[in-house]
Amino acid sequence: MKDERQRYILFKIIMDDTSNLNKKVLLNSLWHSIWKYFGMKEANKIGLWLVDLDILKGYGIIRCSHTTKEIVISALTMIQEISQQSVILSPMKTSGTLNKIRHYLR
Amino acid sequence: MSYFESRLRLNFEDLDSVYRVLKFCEKLNISNLIIEPLNNPKYFREEIFHRIREDININIFFRFNLKPRTLKEFKKEIKFYQKFPYILSLETQVKEIQIQATKDSRVHVISYSDPINMKTATPGLISLAKQNDTYIEFSLAPIMSKNRALQSKNFRLLYRFVQLLLRMKPNIIINGNFDILYDLRHPRNLSSVCHSLLGIPLDQAKNAFSKNVELLLSKVKARKENKSIQPGVRLIKGEKKT
Repeated sequence: MKDERQRYILFKIIMDDTSNLNKKVLLNSLWHSIWKYFGMKEANKIGLWLVDLDILKGYGIIRCSHTTKEIVISALTMIQEISQQSVILSPMKTSGTLNKIRHYLR
Repeated sequence: MSYFESRLRLNFEDLDSVYRVLKFCEKLNISNLIIEPLNNPKYFREEIFHRIREDININIFFRFNLKPRTLKEFKKEIKFYQKFPYILSLETQVKEIQIQATKDSRVHVISYSDPINMKTATPGLISLAKQNDTYIEFSLAPIMSKNRALQSKNFRLLYRFVQLLLRMKPNIIINGNFDILYDLRHPRNLSSVCHSLLGIPLDQAKNAFSKNVELLLSKVKARKENKSIQPGVRLIKGEKKT
């Protein structure tokens, strides 16, 4: 069996007031979006991990399996609200290595 | 590959809000944008168009939309768009107008942005559009509805419409067409949504946001410069035989 490869997704956070935003809240809303649009069948394949979240600079990095990259991008795109506040989580760059993502950020 | 948000409706009566939305698009890294002025050409002037192009770091194009209620109204309205330099689309529920517009080379796009209009699309009409090289367009705005029942209903309508398009294989253009600022999304991300939620193959979804829009723009440009007559036919200046 082939090894599962990983993908790192860099996303931008656009939100008026980020005071209520933290790792837990963000992951909750992402899982909620995944469940809402894709259900258990797809959710168990994802292997989601929030690698980095910098609220001040307005970006985050997520790790998932390479087969579910499009699902995670869609789930991030479909998130409209976090803690009753409008938000855009806009995926910007996908890569197989964290180094490349960090390089892109610089 | 550069992606296009091919329909963003803006009210040119309020220029400040136009700039606010465009700055927001810059923030989202949208590089190509096709703006549809609300109230159509009434408040739209060429100088505003050039000023916006200079001020904003986005490739901006323009489009206009016709919404006739009767066939007679359509025939009367289309007369004013003989040598039109921008994209012209048509949005209506009346089937006769849709058929007439599909045959008319002045109309570039038949738009099904409203879910109610999607019900009026038939395989015959899509096939006619394919023959006449007219683009079929739909929007993803209905699936961003916050009302869950409405969102689910819109998903169903869109899914049925997309299956029809995938079967008939016309030239497709997909856009966001979002009215609310925080509903705006980057076209690359919307292509992922089309792939994973609506079942469009990823390459086709990407083409609908990039390549097909580029082809449409080149078609409009060729028509403007009188280079194009029919798809694959163009005027070339031949040398005179002596």
